Amino acid sequence: MLALAVLPAGAQAPQPIRVGFSSAMSGPSAITGEGVMWGATMAVDEINAKGGIMGRKVEVYFGDNKGTPGEAVSAVRKLVDVDKVDVIVGQTHSGACLGSMPIIKELQVPQVTESCSNPKIREMSGKGGNEWQFRVNIDDLMMANAFAKYIAKNARTVSIVAQNDDFGRGAATAYDAAFKKSGAKLVSTEFFDRGQSDYRPLLTRLKRSNPESLLLVMLANEGSVFMRQYRELGLNQKIYARGSLATAEFLGQVTDNPSIGDGIVEASYWTAALDPEWEKRWLERWKTPVRIHGSLAALAFKYAVVPAIEQAIRTTGRADRKSIRDALTQIDVKDTPIGPIKFDEYHQAWINMILIEMRGGQLKIIEKITTSPALLQ
Amino acid sequence: MEDLLEQLLHGLTLGSMYAMVATGLALMFGVVRLINFAHGEFFMLGAYAFWFSFKELHLPYAVAGVAAAAAMTVFGVVYQRTVIRAILDRTWHVQLIATLATSIVMTNLAMIVFGTQAKEVPTTLSSTVITVGGLRTTWQRLLVVAGALVVFGALHWFVTRTKLGKAMRAMSQNREACAVVGVDVQKVALVTFAVSAALAGIAAALVTPLFNIFPDMGALLALKAFAAVIVGGFGYVNGAIAASFLIGIAESLAGGYVSYAYKDAFAFLFMIAVLLWRPQGLFGRRIGI
Repeated sequence: MLALAVLPAGAQAPQPIRVGFSSAMSGPSAITGEGVMWGATMAVDEINAKGGIMGRKVEVYFGDNKGTPGEAVSAVRKLVDVDKVDVIVGQTHSGACLGSMPIIKELQVPQVTESCSNPKIREMSGKGGNEWQFRVNIDDLMMANAFAKYIAKNARTVSIVAQNDDFGRGAATAYDAAFKKSGAKLVSTEFFDRGQSDYRPLLTRLKRSNPESLLLVMLANEGSVFMRQYRELGLNQKIYARGSLATAEFLGQVTDNPSIGDGIVEASYWTAALDPEWEKRWLERWKTPVRIHGSLAALAFKYAVVPAIEQAIRTTGRADRKSIRDALTQIDVKDTPIGPIKFDEYHQAWINMILIEMRGGQLKIIEKITTSPALLQ
Repeated sequence: MEDLLEQLLHGLTLGSMYAMVATGLALMFGVVRLINFAHGEFFMLGAYAFWFSFKELHLPYAVAGVAAAAAMTVFGVVYQRTVIRAILDRTWHVQLIATLATSIVMTNLAMIVFGTQAKEVPTTLSSTVITVGGLRTTWQRLLVVAGALVVFGALHWFVTRTKLGKAMRAMSQNREACAVVGVDVQKVALVTFAVSAALAGIAAALVTPLFNIFPDMGALLALKAFAAVIVGGFGYVNGAIAASFLIGIAESLAGGYVSYAYKDAFAFLFMIAVLLWRPQGLFGRRIGI
């Protein structure tokens, strides 16, 4: 007892900080979780190589939400009950995000979301809602007005093709309203289930309704097959996208014909060109093109979670769940590859929106738009 | 009119794919009385075998297709020897859990080995667009339908003309009697699995240039093939083939004219409707291939 009592405090190894990353590690969306696992491992290794966060090492844990609301609950429970994490980054998919929100509140663990874009998430977070939920990425309601205005400049009519889940349906509702304001006429809205590989009936429906442009709300896995069948049927609408079409993942799947996605303009908030150094390190480490969701998870960790933990330790001397949550409301990180990260009263950060154009297998940022709550008007 | 033809051609492509998978299922049930819940994963594995031969080994398309079928034949034999032989005389509960478990293990193994990013195997045939009477399609789609017809012709010849095929038919009617008259029941079971797996491999080689390959691609396909087997009259191969084409066309028409989001539901609604009208299936008479 005596020996313990006289040990200087510094002799004890500081407690590691446990960070959980939750994404779809299996199921039809597993490509996102694989990326998140790579991105998180890289970001945490880089922080630990610099000595951790204020001398405390970071331990990383993963939860598998399979991209669904029900499994997201299990993933959070596992991260909190078994791995005892101090903070969670993730869920990646809107449905999983919405599904996880009641349980993070119940278990009182802060969650920083990197890429769930269902507009309901902001409505339900922060003031008067879930105090434990924070979101770095902007959502479709925020992007819809600006993107719809851009689309309306180039096309009078548009059809939406969206994946049949919280992400797709949330985006479809947001763009429906935005097109009305922008003057473009919404001709039809079609939904498809994820993991689908056959779009011919849908494409013939589009051929019949014959809009001037299409807004595709889909991820790279489905997008590459959709685009092949689109070209096969000889359709020639202008294509706009939300999801992960203008990405390296998409291009990695169409190496035989990279021009298949020529002319696609995607509204997003991340592309590899925003952080070439990160892309280089990713390529060196994983020998595969940099993934969007993994990079976003790493960004949320580096520029929101790490500063919050530093702030928590500075002000309270602790890095427990509550102090991290309180610190998250105060952080103000001005210079990140995706713009400033400062959470508003609804725990929403207003990062930059970008428009990316794909041509000849190359991705180019054609517009960078700063965002603010005014975009919701 | 052109639109309707487009949907019909598409329905035939889908039907061909369902039929080749459903035939394997029906054969297994007809001959060995076993429902193979891992059959969708046979298709998935066949697809990866084709991808490996075509993309990694750079074999010509036809050779890669044959390689995929051959690899799956070997896999069918191994599967029968390891998983099936141990559970063949057990109750259906054990068979269900064992084959379902195999399916889950295979999907997750594929994720570990091949990764989660979808793989694409476009061929010259799938990227060359042809126009026939205003109808835009690719050679690959026509090849799927033609290939399926050739496969069914060969299968018909095999089960009606060859000794082994005749033994399969006999076993589907009375397993005990076959054993009594000296038919090597184990060997016939082995051949059944080899043939069923090879069919999944051929289907994968024909279809995957049009679609993409990912670890759980077999799940929904297996459900549709089950629907076809049930609609066709359980264990009756010709019934399963016909039902597969009906389901493919129904799905294509429903997706094109009613709702694309619910097209999969229509395939199963069709199955329920048929079962209400004819509980024994459209062509069901008795068990036997």
